[in-house]
Amino acid sequence: MSHSVNTTFISDKTSKIRWKTDPFNDSNVFITGSWDDENNNLKLWEFQENKDDTDTYPFILKSCAFQGDVTELQFVDLDSFVVSSSYGSVYLMRITSNEKELIDIEACINWNKIHNFSENEVAPCTSLSCYKNDIVTCGEDGRINLLTSQHQNIVYSNNNADSCCINCVTFLKFNEVLTGNNRGLLKIWDFRQNQSSLCNSFILGQDQIAVTCVAVHPSQQHILVTGDEEGSITVWDLRKNTFPVNLLTVHTESISEIMFHPDHPDHLFSCSTAGEIWHWLSSSPATNTHTKLLNLQETDHNPWYISDNVKNKLEVFNLMPKLHFPINSLDLSRDRVLCGCDNEAIYLISNVNIN
Amino acid sequence: MESTVRTFAIPNELCRRAGIAATWHSINNLGIFPSQSVNPSIPDRPSPYGPSEASVFNVRQDILLFEPILRKLVNESNGIFLNLQILTSGNVANLKQELLKVSHQYRSVIRACLENLQDEVARVDEHTSENMKNYITIFYSIECIWHLCEILFIENIPGSIVLPHLLEWVRFHFPKYERQATIYLNSDIDNIELDPDYWKTVIGCLLQGRVEVVRALLTLHSSANSPVFKLFDQTLKSMPIYNVYSGTSVTEFNLRWKHWLVDTQSKIDAKSFVSESHLNLMMKLAVGEELAWNQVQAQCEAWYELLASWLFFTEPTVKTFELGQFARRCIGRMGVRDHLRHLDQILLAALEADIFQVIKEIQHMSENGWFVSHLTDLLFHAGVLDTLDGTNEDLVAGRLRESFLIDYGVLMSSHHSLWQLGLSYLDHCPSDGLHVIQLLLQKLPLGTEVRVQKIVREALKRDLHPVAQSVCKVQGINCLRRGKMGNALSWALKSQDGYFTSYLADRFLRKYTTEGKLLCPDLLENLGSAMLSCDRLTFLSKYFEFHKVYALKDFKEAANIIISLMSSKLTPKYFWITLLTDALPLLESDEIVFSSNDTFMLLHCLEEKSKLPELQDKISLIRIAAARNLARALTTEAQAA
Amino acid sequence: MFEAEEINAEHKDLIHDVAYDFYGQRMATCSSDQYVKVWDQNHEGRWILTSSWKAHSGSVWKVTWAHPEFGQVLATCSFDRTAAVWEEIVGETPGPGERGSRHWVRRTNLVDSRTSVTDVKFGPKTQGLQLATCSIDGIIRIYEAPDVMNLSQWTLQHEVQCKLSCSCLSWNPSLSKSLPQMLAVGSDDSNPANGGKVFIFEYSENIRRWTKIETINTITDAVHDISFSPNLGRSFHLLAVATKDVRIISLTPIHDQASIQSGLTKLSVQTAAQFEDHASTVWRVCWNITGTILASSGDDGCVRMFKMNYINTWKPIAVLKGDGSNLSNENQKSMASSTGAPVSQTARYYKLGTISSSREVPWH
Repeated sequence: MSHSVNTTFISDKTSKIRWKTDPFNDSNVFITGSWDDENNNLKLWEFQENKDDTDTYPFILKSCAFQGDVTELQFVDLDSFVVSSSYGSVYLMRITSNEKELIDIEACINWNKIHNFSENEVAPCTSLSCYKNDIVTCGEDGRINLLTSQHQNIVYSNNNADSCCINCVTFLKFNEVLTGNNRGLLKIWDFRQNQSSLCNSFILGQDQIAVTCVAVHPSQQHILVTGDEEGSITVWDLRKNTFPVNLLTVHTESISEIMFHPDHPDHLFSCSTAGEIWHWLSSSPATNTHTKLLNLQETDHNPWYISDNVKNKLEVFNLMPKLHFPINSLDLSRDRVLCGCDNEAIYLISNVNIN
Repeated sequence: MESTVRTFAIPNELCRRAGIAATWHSINNLGIFPSQSVNPSIPDRPSPYGPSEASVFNVRQDILLFEPILRKLVNESNGIFLNLQILTSGNVANLKQELLKVSHQYRSVIRACLENLQDEVARVDEHTSENMKNYITIFYSIECIWHLCEILFIENIPGSIVLPHLLEWVRFHFPKYERQATIYLNSDIDNIELDPDYWKTVIGCLLQGRVEVVRALLTLHSSANSPVFKLFDQTLKSMPIYNVYSGTSVTEFNLRWKHWLVDTQSKIDAKSFVSESHLNLMMKLAVGEELAWNQVQAQCEAWYELLASWLFFTEPTVKTFELGQFARRCIGRMGVRDHLRHLDQILLAALEADIFQVIKEIQHMSENGWFVSHLTDLLFHAGVLDTLDGTNEDLVAGRLRESFLIDYGVLMSSHHSLWQLGLSYLDHCPSDGLHVIQLLLQKLPLGTEVRVQKIVREALKRDLHPVAQSVCKVQGINCLRRGKMGNALSWALKSQDGYFTSYLADRFLRKYTTEGKLLCPDLLENLGSAMLSCDRLTFLSKYFEFHKVYALKDFKEAANIIISLMSSKLTPKYFWITLLTDALPLLESDEIVFSSNDTFMLLHCLEEKSKLPELQDKISLIRIAAARNLARALTTEAQAA
Repeated sequence: MFEAEEINAEHKDLIHDVAYDFYGQRMATCSSDQYVKVWDQNHEGRWILTSSWKAHSGSVWKVTWAHPEFGQVLATCSFDRTAAVWEEIVGETPGPGERGSRHWVRRTNLVDSRTSVTDVKFGPKTQGLQLATCSIDGIIRIYEAPDVMNLSQWTLQHEVQCKLSCSCLSWNPSLSKSLPQMLAVGSDDSNPANGGKVFIFEYSENIRRWTKIETINTITDAVHDISFSPNLGRSFHLLAVATKDVRIISLTPIHDQASIQSGLTKLSVQTAAQFEDHASTVWRVCWNITGTILASSGDDGCVRMFKMNYINTWKPIAVLKGDGSNLSNENQKSMASSTGAPVSQTARYYKLGTISSSREVPWH
């Protein structure tokens, strides 16, 4: 494992870090969103090769002020991204460059205060998920909103989706959405004809532990992983009602983000508030070697369905020495991992063993 | 040297005339307002100053370190600090070596900061660049002092022969001669000696003990091949320079050096270098001739530059503990005794090994304690501060270190974003750290649930359960005020406050009695073990279950639940009417769901509660239904037997 | 060293008291206009007036916040011989004659005193919700709300006679639940012949009464303000007293036969520090969060700060004084805007200039 770690201190606690999508999957540009400061911001960075050093350091292309904490950020196409705020608003923004090659980030659509406790008090929007042109958001007010990147109006809003704070939300299919709340309750919603109905709900465990993050398998949408506030990762098969298929307890504290590698779904990455970042590599029990891709016919041999007695087929790598402060966010591009942390630094981990 | 107490102006006329009062708030803020003492026994009249506009001033310390460009220093040095604490908590081989590495890391962070500042100066407007330049000066001095302290107190110098390190220090901080020399050496000028700075550069390099550079520069001279130059070169080349790794003992070295001195002196006396005045001067410097030194000392920018130079030629094997007296002599020579800047005083104190004084002076250098806390901590771990402890009881060194760390930790915690960093310093203060953390954690303003969770986590990590519970309770109360009953109950359960949980469960039940709606069904359905946390909640949870099974038409189960609720003694007074009314349709259903025992129990409860005013309308209805059910049940049971 | 932002308080005269809520995000002010005003910080950090109402029919002397565990609760005391407890109700518009977007209601009016009530303070939250008042008639009254979720019910639990007119009181926050509660009371009686002016009372569970356990006889001048320092796990308590000078008194519990027998704490009293820097009467003292810095106000028109160092000695560290100098010259924008990130609000803080040029040695 000869990966290298590159540290940059940026004077912001990063709540979200995302690679900018690149047509050749070779991005050198990324965005950081900050939180917990008097004035928060979004910063667009680029890694520039320094001829003298072998190290690459990022430089700020553009920085813009942001109202509230950045709570979630996702790119919807090459230049546009959706970002949500702890002041209850969600924005569609675009990165532009003018004739003079000056970069700017402009707001295209503002969905202001779509999450709120009352007329006078906004509620944090805690997460969002995108599927083509559709965007779904969730918040501390227990509301889910369905938006579209095509226009300003809210397509649909369910203000009583959950009695507690919803921590995470993700699209399962074009019309199906999953939410996870503070008490470990996961719900699946069906949006048809701009209505929402609850299809299913299931609970994480017996102890009302909050679900903190969720990720869907890139090619097999019935496979889901959730992270919780005690540091466990649970693997679910949505075709098999309610019971989790696997439970991995590794992190010592709450898991802040969890992500499948978009090109290599055998690889899973997770980071926690204990300052750990782990790389999970599953191998097929049949061949006992690392397999690159899933064989879609043998879905039952999906490496993530590893039962207890073959758990040792799962390899876990610690990508860098444990930090003293929480790692809040990670993102993947080829063999590089970016993470943003509460020690006001960002880390680029290169040459991660993806093969 | 005590720093005098400064008076700061609140720019307000009313404050000036009437006087001011203060209230502390948050972690490090003061509210200042115009006020005067009052006599509470007489009714207050408008003061002689009114009517006038009164303002409240929110005052806080102006912290350099919170500027974004300096925040990097704060974060990076925090990482180094924490790693140092981990390092010293275990058994370390080569502790001194490890500490030296840490010291290098700190200095490299300071230098990185200086570079950033210098880059910024070029980029910003004039006013801000003034500030930047101030910061540069401050950090430059910090690095200079730190480097010297590293040499004197942390580095493990064999035999205490400190000069080579001292020279390195001076060379680093006064690089102008070397720079100029490099320019000369890379250029291709003839008659370079005509350049006005040439000889100054050569002598300057000599003063810094850069013998090779001096010789190289002299080869550029047009007369480099003349006999006097050659003689000079030879003499200089043969000058012994102490090298601890050469295997030569100090005595041996001193012998050879004294030989060389005698030799060179005789050459000077023989007027061998008289034809080149500069060479003559340099040779005299090399043998330590007073007059020669008086002549060149003006070329030294500072007395410590002079110190290193002079020692190189007169006391090459000087030991660390001898530096103090020589330092004073140099200060005297340069006539700056009465004009010592703060920096000079600190360096002098360090050279005199008066660590306490060094720390005291560093404290006055800036108001944010970054320097003094990190350096004191490092020196503490190096065992250098132990001399401060008179008797073992005092443990002054530990307390000193801790007082700085606590001040710094609290200061950092007063920043909106840096509270986690602040806490991390307090973690390493064994006597008072935990208490201060307790106070601070509670004072952190709550906000998003993500932030609250992080605060609670910090409390639990340190086993501060009362703090965690208090924070959960406040968050619960906040949710209650917002009308988010589900969130409120969730936090109440986390806070393990039975009274609060009970109150909320009660609210749920009352809402049901007034509006007929059970709030937060998804929450109630999944209470799990939490439902046992208080009676009211257990009742609520069971009652919810009743509704659930009723809706699924499992009437037998529904009846069971109702009976268990009635006999449980958990039913709130105001809820009896609801419970009994709920039993009514079950009593009258076609299917018999209440056994005879159940019905007796129900009737018994009914009689007990018969006095309740709200029951009066329904009571006869329920009695009749119960009686009918009893009859049916008894009949059925008799038939079954 | 200091920077400040100015908030126009809208009181047209001197302010008697300013109290901040537990987190420092809300501010309550009271003045001789008999009004209480509550201020909140909005998302941009600006202070906005959210409530203003006529609280009493006499000057309001003091205002204080309860712990946020009890909700948004204030207590006030006034020349009109009453103390009142107020709670903020959400979602209702203010009544006639009131300004602001939030609504505060009077939960209870404590009318037991026959003279001006000089101080009101909530007790430490570990003991439930308690309130202590003191008046010129020398009586200290301790009230309690038996149901902390219903603040309209308060009972007068104890009345403690203090022979002299009381001007101030302070609960000891340091004590854990297992130790008896302690109160310090100061008297503004100016006759030295009447003895010590600071009294320490303790609540004894055995006899269910408050008993005076100590009179500090070294302070015989009128006492205007008194404050226990926050708890730092020390074995002794620190009490700051505003009298003709600034005093810091240390009270150390002594465990001996006598105290074990009586069941009451015995204290050893010592003056830890005494400062005459104000050279005039000191009428207010206030501790910072960690109890390491004390701020005092005096008739010299200044606020003075004193700090404790690692060997437990106290030294003055700074002075603040009103100066009518022109604001625009002193204004310096903070540096945050220089790094390229445009700030969402203009810097509101400006550096405070110094008044007297002291003999400082420049170090660079």
